Amino acid sequence: MALMQKILPCFHISSLYRTTMFPLLTVRHSTNYNASLQQEDDQPAQNLSNPYQKEKRCCVLCKYDVNVDYKNARLLSQFLSPFTGKVYERNITGLCKSKQKIVESEIIKAQNAGYLAIMLKKVEYFKDPKLCDPDRPVRPHRY
Amino acid sequence: MPSYELSLMLRVLSKPELVSSLKRSAETIVQQGGVLRQFISIGTKPLPFKIRAHTQWHREGTYFLMKFDAPSSAVEHLNDEFKRDIDLIRTHVVKCEEPVKQECTLEEELKSPAYRKDVQQLVEESRKTVRKQFKQNSPGFDYYPFQK
Repeated sequence: MALMQKILPCFHISSLYRTTMFPLLTVRHSTNYNASLQQEDDQPAQNLSNPYQKEKRCCVLCKYDVNVDYKNARLLSQFLSPFTGKVYERNITGLCKSKQKIVESEIIKAQNAGYLAIMLKKVEYFKDPKLCDPDRPVRPHRY
Repeated sequence: MPSYELSLMLRVLSKPELVSSLKRSAETIVQQGGVLRQFISIGTKPLPFKIRAHTQWHREGTYFLMKFDAPSSAVEHLNDEFKRDIDLIRTHVVKCEEPVKQECTLEEELKSPAYRKDVQQLVEESRKTVRKQFKQNSPGFDYYPFQK
């Protein structure tokens, strides 16, 4: 009896194993067969662009394609400090290098031609929408 | 001939006087071999700051714009002529240039310095230059002269 008790569970396990293995094998065969028949569209795409790429940032003047002119004192005064009449730097205005250079040169032209004040900002322009906030610079600065 | 833009600031005048003074300044351009393209009246406005011209203080002025083509040598003469005109407070001649279209480089500039192209070039250039190094055998002996 002791022998039977030892052999029986072994037999059971082996029989179970066999029954489970057969259907598994057959399934595997079928998938391989189908894949060979199907076209290659199911393959993962190779040259995908990075889906996590962020949108390219653009400065305000480049975004709306604004022509900066020295006669347009209202636009230029949006980049001036109301306290000193000086031009804000690039870290505050958030402009790209080339546009900042253009704005600075146009402001000097406007001051020389008498369209723009040198030491102050016009009171009429105080309520204009603010393009830049000196309290929240784009980049930290040393002052 | 390059094209120029002349912005005139005149003292406040009556209409016939204004016309005659504008004619005078236009004629000086034509006499220098210039071609007038456009007249634009901007209007009478308070000046951004008080200006002294021809022994008088001005707080109000009439703005006018003239676009013209002229040889570049004429500009110096024009400035000289306008300086002597009593009706003109201030003039400014600017060369008209078509704006060069450039792509916005803000994205590149906002990167941290290690990833910026101009900074990378600087680092490369600094590596190229050979720094002066201290030679260990400066007296030039082929043996070590001191006790070890």
